[in-house]
Amino acid sequence: MEVKICSTCGANLLGTGYVMFPCPECESEIYRCFKCRKLGNSYVCEKCGFEGP
Amino acid sequence: MKKYENVRESDYEYLIPADEYLASGVHIGTQIKTREMKKFIYRVRNDGLYVLDIQKTDERIRMAAKMLSKYPPDRILAVSARQYGQKPAKMFARAIGASAVVDRFIPGTLTNPALKNYMEPDIVLVTDPAIDTQAVTEASNVGIPVIALCDTNNSISDVDLVIPTNNKGRKALALIYWLLTKQTLKEMGKDEFPYTVEDFEADL
Repeated sequence: MEVKICSTCGANLLGTGYVMFPCPECESEIYRCFKCRKLGNSYVCEKCGFEGP
Repeated sequence: MKKYENVRESDYEYLIPADEYLASGVHIGTQIKTREMKKFIYRVRNDGLYVLDIQKTDERIRMAAKMLSKYPPDRILAVSARQYGQKPAKMFARAIGASAVVDRFIPGTLTNPALKNYMEPDIVLVTDPAIDTQAVTEASNVGIPVIALCDTNNSISDVDLVIPTNNKGRKALALIYWLLTKQTLKEMGKDEFPYTVEDFEADL
């Protein structure tokens, strides 16, 4: 089973509570864990370098 | 963001003339700023009002439209409890074929399958995360990405893509939703767009 990793903190994402969406700049997928979303921590796209939110 | 980093302000090509943004008051913020919104603030006026950078607003509208176009239109949900955002949200939903929840957001709409008005969108667009808290919280609980129109005083907790804009003005909301609709349809490959900004403006 492929383990999904939070784009911000690198935590393993299991079960529910995380979010996955396409990068607003490119096609790659961005994963954010519940905690990083709650705290509004910024994420960076590995492919294009887009920094959000 | 890197794509636009080296573009000088005068060379940047806006979706509409910059004057139209300024005339609608899209750049007008509030007298409060949050840490998260600091990077979208251009300057502070003498009266203490924080002014938003319209270039960043324009870039974010393009990004949000690109992101929305990757989802099926009927799986997009626009939410607005704010009075002046209700008509723009409804018009956005009608134009692209999405759904809209305006006025009161009934708790459980995204989480309780027993409810009559239960829905399962793939992405949620909110007008003001401080007012549409219920929608943002429920989307967070079920793992739905959230795009939010944020002013200088908003917290970006549970928001996945910020569109920095004045989210209180009647004309500002109409213009932002109109641009977002137009750009989303363009990204979806539909060039026909018969609406004007006035069609999106809420009545006084």
